[in-house]
Amino acid sequence: MLRFVGRRLWSGGLTLAALVTLTFFVMRLAPGGPFSRNRKISPEVQANIEAAFHLDEPVWQQFGRFVWGVLRFDLGPSTRHRDYSVNDLIASGLPYSLTIGFWAVVVATLVGVALGIAGALRRNGVTDYVAGIVGVIGIAIPIFVIGPVLQVIFGLRLQWLPIGGWDGTWRSLVLPVTVLALPNIAYISRLTRTSMIETLRENYVRTARAKGIGWRRVLWRHTLTGALLPVIAYLGPATAAIITGSILIETIFAVPGIGRHFVDAALNRDYPLVMGITLLYGGLLILFNIGTDVVRALLDPRIRNER
Amino acid sequence: MIGKAGRMTRWLAGAAMALVLATGPGMADAVLDRGIGSEWSSLDPQVNFDAAAGWILMDAYEGLVTYGPGGGVQPGQAESWDMSEDGKTYTFHLREGLKWSNGDPVTAQEFVDSVFRTLDPATVSEKGYYFYSVVKIKGAEAIANGEAKDTSGLGVTAPDDRTVVIEMETPAPHLLNIMGAFQIPPLHGPSYAANGAAGFVDPAKLVTNGAYTITEIVPQSHVLLTKNPNYWDAANVKIEQVKYHVTEDVGTEFKRFQAGEIDITYDVPVNQLEELKTSMPDALKVTPSTETTYYSFNLTKPELQDVNVRTALSLAINRELLQEKIVKGGAIPAYSYAGGFDPTYDGPMMPGFELSQEEREAKAKELMAAAGYGPDNPLKLTIVTTVAEDRVRLAQGVALMWKQVLGVQATAEPMERKAWLDAFYAGGWDVFADNLVGDFAGAETFLAYMRPSAEPGYNWVKPEYDAQMDLAATMPDAASRNVELAKAEKILLDDVIFAPIAKEPLRRLVSPKVKGYVPAVTDYINSQFLTLEP
Repeated sequence: MLRFVGRRLWSGGLTLAALVTLTFFVMRLAPGGPFSRNRKISPEVQANIEAAFHLDEPVWQQFGRFVWGVLRFDLGPSTRHRDYSVNDLIASGLPYSLTIGFWAVVVATLVGVALGIAGALRRNGVTDYVAGIVGVIGIAIPIFVIGPVLQVIFGLRLQWLPIGGWDGTWRSLVLPVTVLALPNIAYISRLTRTSMIETLRENYVRTARAKGIGWRRVLWRHTLTGALLPVIAYLGPATAAIITGSILIETIFAVPGIGRHFVDAALNRDYPLVMGITLLYGGLLILFNIGTDVVRALLDPRIRNER
Repeated sequence: MIGKAGRMTRWLAGAAMALVLATGPGMADAVLDRGIGSEWSSLDPQVNFDAAAGWILMDAYEGLVTYGPGGGVQPGQAESWDMSEDGKTYTFHLREGLKWSNGDPVTAQEFVDSVFRTLDPATVSEKGYYFYSVVKIKGAEAIANGEAKDTSGLGVTAPDDRTVVIEMETPAPHLLNIMGAFQIPPLHGPSYAANGAAGFVDPAKLVTNGAYTITEIVPQSHVLLTKNPNYWDAANVKIEQVKYHVTEDVGTEFKRFQAGEIDITYDVPVNQLEELKTSMPDALKVTPSTETTYYSFNLTKPELQDVNVRTALSLAINRELLQEKIVKGGAIPAYSYAGGFDPTYDGPMMPGFELSQEEREAKAKELMAAAGYGPDNPLKLTIVTTVAEDRVRLAQGVALMWKQVLGVQATAEPMERKAWLDAFYAGGWDVFADNLVGDFAGAETFLAYMRPSAEPGYNWVKPEYDAQMDLAATMPDAASRNVELAKAEKILLDDVIFAPIAKEPLRRLVSPKVKGYVPAVTDYINSQFLTLEP
């Protein structure tokens, strides 16, 4: 088991290194730089500014500087947000993104599983159709449409919730969490439903019923534990995707999370910030995938023995 | 089992109801909420270079002079000033008893320190440009280039605690505008010595001298300002707190305005502008700015070296139609470059302005045919523009007019902003969808930019223009200077190195609760002059 985890960590590390290296050099290929603008400042001043951020050095040397910084957990200064280092900006934005991401995962799992079970138990009933419709909506309609529509309904018409911004209370959480959770509710409910229907047909479930065990007990003890395995496998990558995928939602709902910094940094050629967030997002994705692999391996010996 | 699922549904419904009951409409408050678009780049007063952060800083820090309602220069920390006869030296007299937010006295030397810190290469500030390029303060460039290491050669001095003297190499009547807009805020020595630049973003440590002090900073979210009781005019500051929100998404900002979360927006969704004119006529403010749009011709391309071809292209553009029917963003059609910002500047118009649009188009066809272009030999052009929706529509509109009137095969090539900037210097473009935001509301800021020494990218070499601009720079008073500047603009417009297109507007929604909002071309609206009605 330890070897299995070690192997996964090693390959994850290599993937991350490749991702970061590629991003570093591709970023430099993009036209324009952090300090290009249509104002003529004196060449000496321009040179001084570029030197302060080591942009005058050869690219390989800048890359070395970046790697050395990463090893010391120092991602350098931001070129656009002059008052902050990349570490500061990540520290300020990450809690918001994590909060939204955490609640979105919780909501998506609870609601998705509940809808899936309800649909499986009363197939072709009202609940099943409702769950199906929610699923289609969640998957088919993009969040940049659903977000503004919910803003109009709950913010403007009903005035129950703020349209955007972060007031520190749960009220500003509701809409972004809902929109972020919606596509995942759809996936999870479908996954649960399919898996439940399959499990309900299993021989051991029928045996349990035949032995005279009550429906409720069969459902919770025998069916659910088996039926939820695919959902658990899905949750690992989904959690990483939710946390790193809130970029659009943060823009629509004006949440001061890290996704906003990412877009802003790319547009402004803020090289250090782009690299810092790439490293963070890449690391999170890889870690959650390894976590899922480990959990699956614990449950299934075939996986941990594969070459 | 049905019971279980049913109970779950009931529970969810109950939770939804609880959620509904616990929330109510937002309560009325005493905070002015303002949108600033994208996040501020820096709150360091000597480093900040962007306009939106300038609003926050102008509320928090006050320079020697400031912009009043409507954008007029008025006394700030200085109660009065004198100009020497040659226009090169200004002497500012500070008010008595000025204090920082922590109670320390404001001294004249702190203004000198501020200018030095802005110019000092160690600060890594781009803002020194205003002191060595826009106005030429003595010794400024030497400090910026690292040749001078202290204030001994600098033309900003403090002979006593309440006097600041600024000496320039050439007269510059626009010095006051520059100071009003980008100010020379004082630099509080003790806190800077103790905290360095990090102190400017730490509300527990920062010290300000303006109408407000900064009490909360959340990156990508907001900056909260609270009234500074030590401000000299605190008795006339009516709004207790001002909150500047990052409002990156213009659609969200608009909805937040409708919901009452934002009182003054940063922008307005362009595609809803027409509708808002009827649905929110009182809140909508579409007013002139200091931004001008013009289409530059690449003078290194042989086919565009012929002034007649350039004139034909300029004349073929129906500017009124373009703005009214195609772009619909509230911009004002322009037939000149530097005029229209300063009401005292009486500048020339582009060649062909005196004609009607039909006459212009007829003349354009004539010129184009004479240059040898026709249906068998069409001119082919690419227009490089940014990806902003209204800019793309503009470029497509111009391309269409060139095709319809002149048979020119023009295509719009939209690029993301940084790529667009880079493309300009790479020089591969035929026509560059250019725009310039003036540093102040005057002709000089625009005309100076066109000097080959200031912007070599236009490849326009015109010794007469340089000579005329040099002459204008020696004029100490604004009136005679404007006369010389107008002559320079005539030389510029007659060469048709670009086609003037439009003066861009400021588009804003202002809640009827906000009183005292007077639009200004420079777009500095200090919160201290506003009031908020419940």
